[in-house]
Amino acid sequence: MNARKTPGIAALGALGLLSLGAASAKDASTPGTSPAPATHQVPRSAEGNVVIALCDGETTLEVKGVKDPAQIDKKQAQAISDQLMAEWYRKNPQANWDPVPPRVALAQPPTPPPAAKADVKKQGESAASDAAGVAKQKGDQEQAGHTYGAFSARDEALWKASAEQMVKEGHRVFHDSKELGSTVAISCDMCHPDGANTHPETYPKYQVQLGRVALLRDMVNWCIENPVRGKALAEDDPRMKAMEAYIFAQRKGVKLEYGKH
Amino acid sequence: MKALTCVAVLALGGTVLAQPAPPQKPFPPGVSPVLYELSVPPERRPTAAQITLGEKLFNDKRLSADDSVSCATCHDPKRAFTDGLPRSEGIKKQRGQRNSPTVLNALFNATQFWDGRAGTLEEQALLPIINPIEMGMPDVEAVVAKVKGLPEYPPEFQKVFGREPTAEDLATAIAAFERTQFSGNARFDRFLAGDSKALSAAEKRGWALFNGKARCNSCHAGNAVSPLFSDQKFHNIGIAAHQHDFPKLAAEALRVVRTGDAKQIDELAIQTNLSEMGRFLVTKNENDIGSFKTPTLRNVGVTGPYMHDGSLATLWDVMDHYNKGGIPNPFLDGGMQRLGLTEPEIDDVVAFLFALTSEDLAALEKKELASQRARKNKRPERDTAVALGKKGNLGDIGVSPDLSISNPADRGFYGPVGPSSEK
Repeated sequence: MNARKTPGIAALGALGLLSLGAASAKDASTPGTSPAPATHQVPRSAEGNVVIALCDGETTLEVKGVKDPAQIDKKQAQAISDQLMAEWYRKNPQANWDPVPPRVALAQPPTPPPAAKADVKKQGESAASDAAGVAKQKGDQEQAGHTYGAFSARDEALWKASAEQMVKEGHRVFHDSKELGSTVAISCDMCHPDGANTHPETYPKYQVQLGRVALLRDMVNWCIENPVRGKALAEDDPRMKAMEAYIFAQRKGVKLEYGKH
Repeated sequence: MKALTCVAVLALGGTVLAQPAPPQKPFPPGVSPVLYELSVPPERRPTAAQITLGEKLFNDKRLSADDSVSCATCHDPKRAFTDGLPRSEGIKKQRGQRNSPTVLNALFNATQFWDGRAGTLEEQALLPIINPIEMGMPDVEAVVAKVKGLPEYPPEFQKVFGREPTAEDLATAIAAFERTQFSGNARFDRFLAGDSKALSAAEKRGWALFNGKARCNSCHAGNAVSPLFSDQKFHNIGIAAHQHDFPKLAAEALRVVRTGDAKQIDELAIQTNLSEMGRFLVTKNENDIGSFKTPTLRNVGVTGPYMHDGSLATLWDVMDHYNKGGIPNPFLDGGMQRLGLTEPEIDDVVAFLFALTSEDLAALEKKELASQRARKNKRPERDTAVALGKKGNLGDIGVSPDLSISNPADRGFYGPVGPSSEK
């Protein structure tokens, strides 16, 4: 039960090196092959207490007096997470861990100019049928410039609200250890407050902890299996989709740079 | 602390998300507060007094020329606000050109009528009253004069609007009543809210097909923000080509539109075969020839017969129509194609469609399902050879989802409607 894959923190050079170091020590006998994901050997507590491991593969914390991980509540889990992170900061003063992002509006999907200002499509009508005249008179101008035909301002409002609702749902899952299936009350936000330091814009990239090129969802699942100690979600699980939406929304405006570390 | 800041973030998330409490009661599951905000601007929020007056007017046959027809004649609340007839019957047993659509959830429509010629419920409410075939009043002034002459209405209008009856107030009251007729709370909504047993196996397979091979969601897409299962757009799916020489009719319509005046065109739209031109007579845009609005699928099981002319009696007929790719005509929507659904697959999609019936219409649903099932073996639209690709060359046929791997119904993102616990 305590034998776990090496945890590691998403995407960071400094941490990546740490995990790689741990991995190559074990795999030194087979040079030339990709390092297999190393295992973080979480030590057993002498008193049978719960031991929580940080994803750097070495930092652990014994939760005194708690034998059953199910008894940990959100507040306590946050305290545990804070302590582990503080310990990690102490060990890695040079670490490049992003601060909490500015709390901007969640999703602001880009929208084309308002329907009233857009060009009206002329095709499919003849001068004599006066479609343009009717459109003007009826005020039902439909907007050109969308990929798939003409849509109204109402459509755009619905799309925007739908996207925002998905982001909101992702926000909820990201912050809810039960929804994530955590056995130790840890949720994503405890290490990544408000989605900090997730860098969705750098995927796909080589993920050191996984020993292969990964998508954001692979890394999310890695975090769910390791620090969160839950079961990996199916790639098309609605919770996974919603979390991806939320994580991307938090990085709106950041330049897309796949492969970057 | 963190939770509080999150709430603050959400509050900043855009005006669309700002949701003041709904006016009368909390919305049932399957009714979207966001869509309500978008569809009912503050100045059109119904008041209790308007609703009471509107309901009375809605049911009052005296609004028609010979006191024989009310709004409720064609939109009978007991029949989910439809009349169950292929094409509606007005005064003097006159037969109109179109099937009466349900009032349920009509408040959420982007436009009203099958061809979308009215933008609001207010605008819509008056037109059947002055339609010569429907309620037969000569004009709006005559309606107002008649209402003024009925003893009980002037005091009520005085109480609600503070003045004598006017056409505007009449429309406002009827529309206010119609805006209370939202409907959700279907088995499907309970399924989404986490009750995995709310849908039967057939209904779940139907939901997977709906989003996949049957391609229903091309036009009938729904999500938690817009749970109507309608894109509110207009499509030519070839229904009129059943009964008419469609190219000839289209040529005639083009001639009329290019030479006729607006009033003449309106009359033709209502009273003649040119009604089959649908949206075209509204927009005069040739792309719209023979296209009609995608109706909502909420309560679709109990609001038949189907299509703008009520020509399809059962949902099995509807599925047959789509299965063979509609009826070819020069203006057929490009999205129409053969589906290649097998008989059991058609049964599954129909089962799912019935699962969109509101709980309070369960008795009607049972009756309708039984009656539609009884007609299942009489299927005029069925063309098995074409549907299964044994005849003709009409494009590719979709692949049945392999439900032994995973049922997309368990995975599709419809939107947050409750705890997304594992299904």
